[in-house]
Amino acid sequence: MLKNYFKIAWRNILRHKGYSIINISGLSVGIAACLLIFVILQFELSFNTGFTNYKSLYHVATKQIGEDGTTYNPGVSVPALDALRIDFPQVKFAALNSSYGSQLTVPGNDPNNALNDKKFSEDVGVFFMEPQFFDIFHSDWLAGDKSALDQPNMVVIAQSTATKYFGNWKQAMGKTLKMDNVLTLRVAGIIGDAPDNSDFPLKVMVSYTTWKEHPKDYNYSHEWGSLSSNHQIFAELPQNMTAANMDKQLVRFTAKFAKDKTKVTRAHFLQPLSDMHFDTRFGNTIGDHSTSMATLRILGLIAVLIIVMASINFINLSTAQSVSRSKEVGIRKVLGSTRKQLISQVLGETTLIVVFSVAIAVAIAELALPYLKNIATVPDNIRLFNAGTMMFLALTTIAVIILSGIYPALVVSGFKPILAIKNKITAASVGGIPLRRALVVGQFFIAQLLIIGTLVAVKQMNYVNDADLGFNKSAVLILPGYTDSISLGKMQTFKQQLLQNPQVKSVSFTSDAPSSDNNWGSNFYYNNDMKGATFGVFMKFADADYFKTFGFKFAAGGGFDLSDTTRQVVVNETLVHKLGVKNAGDAIGKTFKLGGAKKWANIIGVVKDFKTNSLRDAVRPIVILTQKEYEGQAAVKIQTTSLSKTTAAVKALWEKTYPEYAYSGYFLDEKIAKFYEQENKLALVYKIFAGIAIFISCLGLYGLVSYMAVQRTKEVGVRKVLGASVANIVFMFSKEFLLLIGIAFLIAMPTAWYLMSQWLQNFAYRIPLTAGVFLLAIVGSMGIAWLTVSYKALKAALVNPVKSLKSE
Amino acid sequence: MLSLQHISKYYQVGGNKNFVINDISLDVDEGEFVSIMGPSGSGKSTLLNIIGMLDDPSTGYHYFVDQPVHQMKEKQRSALYKQYIGFVFQAYHLIDELTVYENIETPLIYQDVKGSERKAMVADMLDRFNIVGKKDLFPAQLSGGQQQLVGIARALIAKPKLLLADEPTGNLNSKQGEEIMELFRKLNKEDGVTIIQVTHSEKNAEYGSRIINLLDGRVESSKKF
Repeated sequence: MLKNYFKIAWRNILRHKGYSIINISGLSVGIAACLLIFVILQFELSFNTGFTNYKSLYHVATKQIGEDGTTYNPGVSVPALDALRIDFPQVKFAALNSSYGSQLTVPGNDPNNALNDKKFSEDVGVFFMEPQFFDIFHSDWLAGDKSALDQPNMVVIAQSTATKYFGNWKQAMGKTLKMDNVLTLRVAGIIGDAPDNSDFPLKVMVSYTTWKEHPKDYNYSHEWGSLSSNHQIFAELPQNMTAANMDKQLVRFTAKFAKDKTKVTRAHFLQPLSDMHFDTRFGNTIGDHSTSMATLRILGLIAVLIIVMASINFINLSTAQSVSRSKEVGIRKVLGSTRKQLISQVLGETTLIVVFSVAIAVAIAELALPYLKNIATVPDNIRLFNAGTMMFLALTTIAVIILSGIYPALVVSGFKPILAIKNKITAASVGGIPLRRALVVGQFFIAQLLIIGTLVAVKQMNYVNDADLGFNKSAVLILPGYTDSISLGKMQTFKQQLLQNPQVKSVSFTSDAPSSDNNWGSNFYYNNDMKGATFGVFMKFADADYFKTFGFKFAAGGGFDLSDTTRQVVVNETLVHKLGVKNAGDAIGKTFKLGGAKKWANIIGVVKDFKTNSLRDAVRPIVILTQKEYEGQAAVKIQTTSLSKTTAAVKALWEKTYPEYAYSGYFLDEKIAKFYEQENKLALVYKIFAGIAIFISCLGLYGLVSYMAVQRTKEVGVRKVLGASVANIVFMFSKEFLLLIGIAFLIAMPTAWYLMSQWLQNFAYRIPLTAGVFLLAIVGSMGIAWLTVSYKALKAALVNPVKSLKSE
Repeated sequence: MLSLQHISKYYQVGGNKNFVINDISLDVDEGEFVSIMGPSGSGKSTLLNIIGMLDDPSTGYHYFVDQPVHQMKEKQRSALYKQYIGFVFQAYHLIDELTVYENIETPLIYQDVKGSERKAMVADMLDRFNIVGKKDLFPAQLSGGQQQLVGIARALIAKPKLLLADEPTGNLNSKQGEEIMELFRKLNKEDGVTIIQVTHSEKNAEYGSRIINLLDGRVESSKKF
């Protein structure tokens, strides 16, 4: 019996090639899209689950509650670590301090010739780390053990890093490694590589005590008031302690130690390790890759919508097509088939088509897999097949079979045999017309939702990418440098040599570009008031040329007189306004002091607000001050006429001046574009999937119209004999669909409006949702639908009525 | 074999009942060959469909091999006619997607006959109707007469006691029609199959042992030979 069903199913597929192709291509594209989304979700959701004890692991985080709201910081101040250990003896704590953008050097044979050294720049993965870290986070030790990190100037490196530096990890033990040309470290341990789905990309782990011994080089500060996102603490709770319990005690803990005189209330709390990857309150994880749950949810939703659309196509086409199969069904019933047998036969056909589509979908997904990293942060070596995806495919296959097979099966098997045999089953009597209309509406609802989403996302991202930042970001080359005394000593010469190049307009040494995701903050005092401000300030250290290089505009006052004064600071308008000073000019000459600083300085300038972070966040209160030891970066403003030539010249000069350092310059505008990597990727995802949605719904529409054209051949013939023009006929076919799309739009518009205004909330600076976007969506989808319909309609309308009526 | 008592079939049109079959009572014995005649719209086909349990009467009693069909549920009825009744149609109604062989085999599949047995039975039937050479052809590749032969072979494969034929020769030329009628007579005489046929043709009707004339849903005359 089964064989019989499949035989019939196969012949039906071949007989109705057109419909089969529409069904199979819609389904396979849909399933392939879903499979890829599943791979992304699977990877993202697996983050940090590699640690067997991840459920009892927590990240101690900080929130700062000021009068103007709460800000979150993944870091904890350094003195808190010892205090935590004293107050919570039963909890295991471990601290690390990230050193972003460090250079590791494997010394060459000649100690006097730095050009023979092998230099490696590591953006992420370099830490000062306590040995306790390995008590709570398990790692495989290939050589040495965690006690290596008890001593200063010891380093543990990961296997692949060791191979990269030394050629073979087995030869790495005991070798010397220089870091930032400041530290001379000895390799005392090798651990296995961190998996891709870990927020801890452990590459180079320097002992924590080394950090303490180099406070100036690596911003080590034992102040309670100082808070850096680089210094993070992790905790493993004992079995008998809950996070809620500990959080409660942390409130008391913070109150006891935070003796700050500012009105900013600082509080510590536990963030479960399993949430860490998805918590966007903190900016980014130490692995520089966090994903918002909202994004994952949107992806999941898109996957479901795509599958539903493909299934709707299937239902629409097979119920429409079932009319032409009514005779077969009638005969089978007369020959003794029960309803159950007919249902299983139709389901059998569906199964065949779905399984076929899944096979094609897997092939499509496999081909598309290498491009997946353009829309999501997945590792290069991600695989399509694993237990999870197999399970997913199996479940999807079953779900699609049920979703798209049951209804047509019930319709077909319910035909009355006499009517069926006499071909009295018509599209109308199948009874599916209201349903089919509803399904078309559903499809276009989804398609328009995605179209509107795409338009809004693309518009917002264009706005963000082209926004006026309040300073000039173009043609500024940033040269990350180092703040060791030798490097600092060469600075002025380097600057003078750079300025000799006529293409270089200006050079500034700074700790930070105006817009960055750096958030080095502090409490502060204003106008000799020792009570302190009610909010924190973010610091940027820079020399006098900073303002010229980035083209800042001043609301009042001006920049520094000299590059090495510690007596002058510049603040931004936001800070002035937050202090309650109405007129920027009134702040000039007032005194200013950072928490922990000894001397008061004068405010000599107020810069007009510029975007201090990504446009997701509002402008922060900023102070710009000088402190040579922190101004390691050079910002070089270049004439736009000869960018690449000048860049090469700057690079050559850098390598000559700092032979012991790897050159890692970049253009600021490119870096700023990276702020929006996730959003830009999401916008791309929208584009792709809106495209797929439109493709699938048009496929369905095309199928329905071609079916209608066949069904209504006679009607078209009669109408033409009665004098209908070709335009009349095309209109007859299109008007119903255009009406349905209109209805779909009425539902899609408010839904999309709601969803997209939610999404726009992610940005402090956002576009208004104007009618234009919605207008474009409705006109666009109607236009596309009309094109789809009109081809078939035109063909039907052009048939000579003599031909179409002859068969009767 | 079967007994219809006061069978009526009507459609409600506005306040009126529109009768297709109006109080017909009819008994058919085993081994009879009945021809039902009458003008278009007289209710011939509806009556045949009611006898074949493809259609339900609005009122009346229907017994088949002494069982009360009017009291049965769909499933029981289906089981009953699967076992006893075979159908032949004017338009042959072969399944276009199946070969001659598969078309004949289909009723056996629905009666859960085993594969090997099916093979033997279909081979036997192909042989008997002289269509062995055509077994792998599809219906569209056959002439009308050949298609009707396949239709009859399919109707007979499950060895029914009653063969119902709705204008079996309506789409055939006279020579093909005659052959089919000869075949019916042979089936009736030699194999003892009870046959009820609906026909327009006086000549074909005379193959039967009884002719029933319908008019406006009633039996106008009935004569036995």
